[in-house]
Amino acid sequence: MNATEHMTDRPSSTWPWVVMAIAGLVTFVASMTVGPDAVQGQLSRIMYVHVPSAWLAYLAFGVTMFASAMYLWKKDLAWDRRAVASAEIGVVFTALALGLGMIWAKPTWGVWWTWDARLTLTAIMFFVYLGYLALRRTTDDLHARAQRSAILGVLAVIQVPLVHFSVVWWRTLHQPPSILKPEPIDMDTAILVTLIIAVVAFTVMYTAMMFKRIELARLEDELLVSEQTADSPVAGAAVIAPAVDGGGA
Amino acid sequence: MISFQRQVRVIASRDLTRERRTGEVLWVTLPFGAIALLLVPLAIGTNAPMLQRIGPGLFWAVVMLFGVLISIRQTTSETLAQRDQLALTGLDPAAVYVGKATASFLFLLVFQAALGVVTVVLYDVRPKGWWLLPVTFVLVAAGLALLGTLAAGIVATGRNAAALVPLLVAPLSIPLLIGATQSLEALELGRSSLAWVLMMIVTVIALAIAGVLSARPLQETG
Repeated sequence: MNATEHMTDRPSSTWPWVVMAIAGLVTFVASMTVGPDAVQGQLSRIMYVHVPSAWLAYLAFGVTMFASAMYLWKKDLAWDRRAVASAEIGVVFTALALGLGMIWAKPTWGVWWTWDARLTLTAIMFFVYLGYLALRRTTDDLHARAQRSAILGVLAVIQVPLVHFSVVWWRTLHQPPSILKPEPIDMDTAILVTLIIAVVAFTVMYTAMMFKRIELARLEDELLVSEQTADSPVAGAAVIAPAVDGGGA
Repeated sequence: MISFQRQVRVIASRDLTRERRTGEVLWVTLPFGAIALLLVPLAIGTNAPMLQRIGPGLFWAVVMLFGVLISIRQTTSETLAQRDQLALTGLDPAAVYVGKATASFLFLLVFQAALGVVTVVLYDVRPKGWWLLPVTFVLVAAGLALLGTLAAGIVATGRNAAALVPLLVAPLSIPLLIGATQSLEALELGRSSLAWVLMMIVTVIALAIAGVLSARPLQETG
């Protein structure tokens, strides 16, 4: 029997792709419509993707922690799928935030990378969650995998406040928080509105990605289970009627 | 039913006995760490003032990277059959965790002390803060031991376990590295080191709680 024959035959939803495309388009149009920054010029447009990417990384890893904790409590694999979906998206957006930050840093600071607390801790956070994803490849037992990665998923979230408050705790080259801070926001209204639009669009994009990735994770789990059980004999199948000398009753 | 402390002692003494027989920490990891301290000046130059300046930081980096190998060695060297047998003895999984971490803690203390001497000799470092240095050594050893034992328990006997555990431990040990280096630097600059020491204490406590709480669920997953 083909392993995939065990899998549920549910149609793949297309709306998340549409939502992702619209969210991407909204961000692009908003960031291109607003005027350039008085000091940084056109380079400042990178911020409309860099900042929402960093925000999504926080959000995604927070969701991973919550879903991991829920798995440890409920032992429901659906929570594990939410945790891994969010971690994967978080890793992608952390890489995007780092990459765009470096592109911005070269003309601004003169170097691709500087040993700044925010940058270094973000890179470390990236590697912690890469480790989380690597951990999931160590076993094919769904519950063992979920249990182990859930513990790491809860532990690893400590990186998020470290990254966020690094610019407050240390004197760094990276600017301190512009929006997520207790003081009033000191920013040009047009830039602030564009930034908020981009953050909202990215959050919507994250939701659509989560939906799609959870769907894929469910299919992966079903495929794994079907592969493991496809060739397994049914209980009692090995029992053969003993041959009796002389035959017949 | 034997007490929790007795169970911890049994597991720790098992690991200490194993080390006495194999000498893995003393005769393999420690020389390996010393070689790392020897290689760096050959790679970056032997300018004495520069080496004196980078010596302390290099010492902590080597302690973190090679300390990982010490903290994970017992758990990753265990076979599935050994783990099953340990589970069948009826020992409290939390006691097993604390016992393994205790043995690692002792190994790491020896490791740090020996590498500290090597650093002083090779890099002409003059250690300051005679009260702070032992505190830092103890907190780093405790934190690394707890973290390594926990990570090794999470990965267990899965695929690529030996390669994966250092990847998990190294980034998560950053609060310990930062705490150790910054507390000693603060002392050198005449500032208070208390905040950094507190950060390390909080890290150690958080790791101890996480390890004890997750010990049973991890044992159940095999």
